[in-house]
Amino acid sequence: MDKLPLLTLIAFTPLLGALVLLFVPKQQGRLIKTIALIATLIPLVLAAALYAAYQASGDPVQFKEMYSWIKIPLNKEGLEQITSFFFEFKYNLAVDGLSLPLVFLTALVSAMAALASFHIKKRWKTFYICFLLLETGMFGVFMAQDLFLFFLFFEITLVPMFFLVGIWGYLDREKAANKFLIYNGIGSAIMLIAFLIIVATVGFTMTQTNNEVILSYSGDIHQIAHNLFQDPNAFVNQAKPNNPFFMSDTMKWTVFLMLLVAFGIKLPIFPFHTWMLRVHTEAPPSIVMIHSGILLKMGAYGLIRFGVLFFPAQAKEAALLLGILGVINILYGAALAVVQREFKLVLAYSSISHMGVVLLGLAAFNTSGLQGAVFQLVSHGLISALLFLLVGSIYERTETTELGALGGLAKSIPFMSGILLIAGMASLGLPGLSGFIGEFLAFVGMFGTYKAVAAVGALGIILAAVYVLRGVLSITFGPIAAQYAGIRDARLVEAIPMITLVAFILLLGIYPSVLSEPLQQTISGMDQLLHSAAGHIGG
Amino acid sequence: MANDFTSYAWLVPLFPLLAFLVLIAAGRQLREAGAYISIVAMLASFVLALLIFFERLGHTTDYTWNQLKWLTIGDFQLNMGFEVTNLNALMLVIVTLVSLLVNIYSKGYMHGDERVNVFFSYIQLFSFAMLGLVISVNVLELYIFWELVGVCSFLLVGFWYFKPEARAAAKKAFIVTRVGDVGLFLGMLLLFWYMPGHSLDFSAIHNAFSQGKIDPSIATWIAILVFVGAMGKSGQFPLHTWLPDAMEGPTPISALIHAATMVAAGVYLVARTMDIFQASPDAMLVVAYVGGFTAIFAATIGTAQNDIKRVLAYSTVSQLGYMMMALGLGAATAGIFHLFTHAFFKALLFLGAGSVIHAVHTQDIREMGGLAGKMKITAWTFAIGALALSGIVPLSGFWSKDAILSAAFEHNQLLFWVGLIAAFFTAFYMARLFFLVFAGKPRSDAHAHESPAPFTFPLVVLAVLAVIAGFVFTPFNGWLGHWLGDHAEAETANWTVMILSTLAGLLGIGLGYVMYGKNSVSRDIVAGNAPWLYTLVYRKYYIDELYDVVFVRGLRLIGKAFELFDIYIVDGIVRLCSAAVVGIGRLGLRLQNGQVQTYGLATLLGLLILALALAGRRFFHLG
Repeated sequence: MDKLPLLTLIAFTPLLGALVLLFVPKQQGRLIKTIALIATLIPLVLAAALYAAYQASGDPVQFKEMYSWIKIPLNKEGLEQITSFFFEFKYNLAVDGLSLPLVFLTALVSAMAALASFHIKKRWKTFYICFLLLETGMFGVFMAQDLFLFFLFFEITLVPMFFLVGIWGYLDREKAANKFLIYNGIGSAIMLIAFLIIVATVGFTMTQTNNEVILSYSGDIHQIAHNLFQDPNAFVNQAKPNNPFFMSDTMKWTVFLMLLVAFGIKLPIFPFHTWMLRVHTEAPPSIVMIHSGILLKMGAYGLIRFGVLFFPAQAKEAALLLGILGVINILYGAALAVVQREFKLVLAYSSISHMGVVLLGLAAFNTSGLQGAVFQLVSHGLISALLFLLVGSIYERTETTELGALGGLAKSIPFMSGILLIAGMASLGLPGLSGFIGEFLAFVGMFGTYKAVAAVGALGIILAAVYVLRGVLSITFGPIAAQYAGIRDARLVEAIPMITLVAFILLLGIYPSVLSEPLQQTISGMDQLLHSAAGHIGG
Repeated sequence: MANDFTSYAWLVPLFPLLAFLVLIAAGRQLREAGAYISIVAMLASFVLALLIFFERLGHTTDYTWNQLKWLTIGDFQLNMGFEVTNLNALMLVIVTLVSLLVNIYSKGYMHGDERVNVFFSYIQLFSFAMLGLVISVNVLELYIFWELVGVCSFLLVGFWYFKPEARAAAKKAFIVTRVGDVGLFLGMLLLFWYMPGHSLDFSAIHNAFSQGKIDPSIATWIAILVFVGAMGKSGQFPLHTWLPDAMEGPTPISALIHAATMVAAGVYLVARTMDIFQASPDAMLVVAYVGGFTAIFAATIGTAQNDIKRVLAYSTVSQLGYMMMALGLGAATAGIFHLFTHAFFKALLFLGAGSVIHAVHTQDIREMGGLAGKMKITAWTFAIGALALSGIVPLSGFWSKDAILSAAFEHNQLLFWVGLIAAFFTAFYMARLFFLVFAGKPRSDAHAHESPAPFTFPLVVLAVLAVIAGFVFTPFNGWLGHWLGDHAEAETANWTVMILSTLAGLLGIGLGYVMYGKNSVSRDIVAGNAPWLYTLVYRKYYIDELYDVVFVRGLRLIGKAFELFDIYIVDGIVRLCSAAVVGIGRLGLRLQNGQVQTYGLATLLGLLILALALAGRRFFHLG
């Protein structure tokens, strides 16, 4: 296993599948679907193997793959004693405890969404090519250990997503796609500027060996972390005049806030959330599975990986702000979810609410809170994927997901209604299902830091029960309308992903150690970093 | 001191879980067998619970096992496991026994329902969760099962999902109890941060609080928050509104969940964490007063309801209030004792009511009457239950109520009188219920007849228990108190209390008899003379209406306001930005109009700006 470039295999099998699809005639719907499914199942199996092979103890960063990709020599005129001066762009993949579960989540949700996409009625070939490209992009985002590589993968996800929403969505799909692209484009632009500033300052390294002096710019996140925290002689830490590489506190704050906005759009943090409402309602449900299940997680992931871990002192000072933003997300999303008439919007606003829990966990700045944030990411990924899987299957039969138009479906589709109830219960944080663990840990964490903030946020737990039950019961309980009396329950191809997702939701809820074990090293590393960094800079 | 059976206590919840899994997986194929699988599983649990109970008769030390690694938080390891104390062992017996009888009863009651196996599977899941709750080793484990029983209650209340009332009731039950659950949740978080070593184990809590290691003000906070959780589950005012509505569920469920077991979980929780409460006199006072108020408040409502199950439901709320009051007064044994006797006679009353409903197909007591002759066993057992609830000597209810009232008499005179008046109302509404249902002439033309054996067998068993269960703890025999390790209980007979409570009971029954049995006093005496009072009580003091206006509509209003904010302000700014970009674009477009003059002007302007900038830079540089 050590020799196999496992991460590359996982990340690029979908792309390979997309390439194969190019050569399949577009009329061959069955073949296209089969190839696409295989191209998502292989990474799923590999990701499971990856998860199993990950060592819970020792260095948390594992399965490293690093190759120098582009090396641009820079002008070293006037720098006689310098051996070489260059900018290096590395193909650099690895996983740690934070990205490992997200990689697995991506593989799982993608495979399930590929199955759910069998509902798609037109242009299967283009659809699945976009789909697989998107999957490669998502894998890359969670594996990349280099800022530019991360940015590249991040951008790769935008393009196919734009087409997936714009072509295969509902009536207002084009508007939704445009809004998606503009919003995320702005986010990406801000992110790029922030990254450039980081590389231009922290990314500058001088390596001195016996007779060589090497200057380099690099986006390697470990190099950057090293320069920032472990090397007091690094240029970035030298507050001398005429040192263009020094990062003042003001600059750190600027970059931190830029990252907060850039990833806050994706997460989404109030008030940057309106774009995702449209995507939730207009995109095809199988794509919303991906969008809500994984793409939103990229925002949180980026915020942790770059915002919090590069600028712990700033993040820690902003903790109260983050916590309050989290509570606003929780309550604002929940209150709006309560009054929606369209089930998809209930779910969209509930996603905002649930992402607030992630922020809350982050803002706690202790092991419990950080762990809660990660649990919540994974759990919400599973739950929202399951919910939109159901939305797709129900819409196929009823052609509406308006709460007022539905009712009593438990009579005609008891299996799906049962699964919907389980998904709803998971979403409202019922113990025994995955949603509870993230919520519990995040609130435990926040309670240790800001009790009042956590207590106010806990009101969201009540509201979650209100909007989930209102939504789910309007659909499945009550008298059934005549036109839905004859609809058929889930087919096997629909039931398999439902049962699979429920199984994982149950597994996480009943035995959370499966996730908390591999997380430990990474979380405690992060915790130490946060405390030491915040200690000697802020204190 | 052998623990041969006790060490297998974890099996008690596991049998029903197993049955649940079987029923869920193969429910449709099983048909009739579903009921038998459930009964056998419950019987196994009951037998094991009994064995554990007998094994523990001589014990005073607790049996604890908590080695199941569940979750790691930093350096802290959260383990799961189970614990058997004498209190737990008693609860195991109560829950398995009532559950077993209800399973048997349901075989008759739910016969012919096409989803009967779903019903049985839910009961099994509930029993699993309730038994798990009872033997939980730490607060988090208890909370997990606590929520799980809530969900089972929700599922069973909404079992007839196609009825809009059932849907509303199920939703309400879940949401109102969730309000309480958040209290428990926050209490648990406080415990986590203030307990030495973050331990949530009950044994650790006992040690920390009884040795005064926790700051009293923190103890007050924790105790109040935990109590809020208990209030939700046990239907204490002001979180009581869900329990009467929960009567939309099938009647066996009302007996099992909403009378004997789950609603008592709040009382159990307070008893289990008694050390926290004892560390805070303020919290104890809150518990006592909330309990006392609930007892009298719900009892008065019970006098004006016409739905047989709702009368019983308000009675349950009221009796749970008694239990809380006892705990708040520091009389833990009395509270648990009342929980114990109440489980039997209230389950009996509900199952009796189910038998009646099964026979006459209505729940309105004004349409019943004269059933005593047609349904002898139901009538007799119901009468025993009603007398036990009314606190008539020597039935079980008398002894447990007496224990509570004696404690109140000693510690808090006000609460004693509250309890006594509530006891009068209790006897009155039960007499009213009994005479309206079983005495007089039939008021509808339904051909009622006695229910079959699956109904009557549990009724008889419960009736026997309702008679004798009280003898385990009387002023003349303090066995239960000793066994539960509560040495504070006075064993001296308080004759004043006994006489007063008997008088209150007899008075209530007498009044009920003259109004509804003999009809010598007009039934409308209150409704006629003080219609506002009657309406106030009949409408349950308008609490539901109040909540509807304040919370339901309030929340909707906030949601709507936020929605407008979201559409017009948040998204409005976004649209404004995009409109601004488009506007600038249009401006640029207008510049490209093909007229050389315009281009020339633009060029000139540009040149001017550049020149100025250059000059300015030099100027500043030199300066």
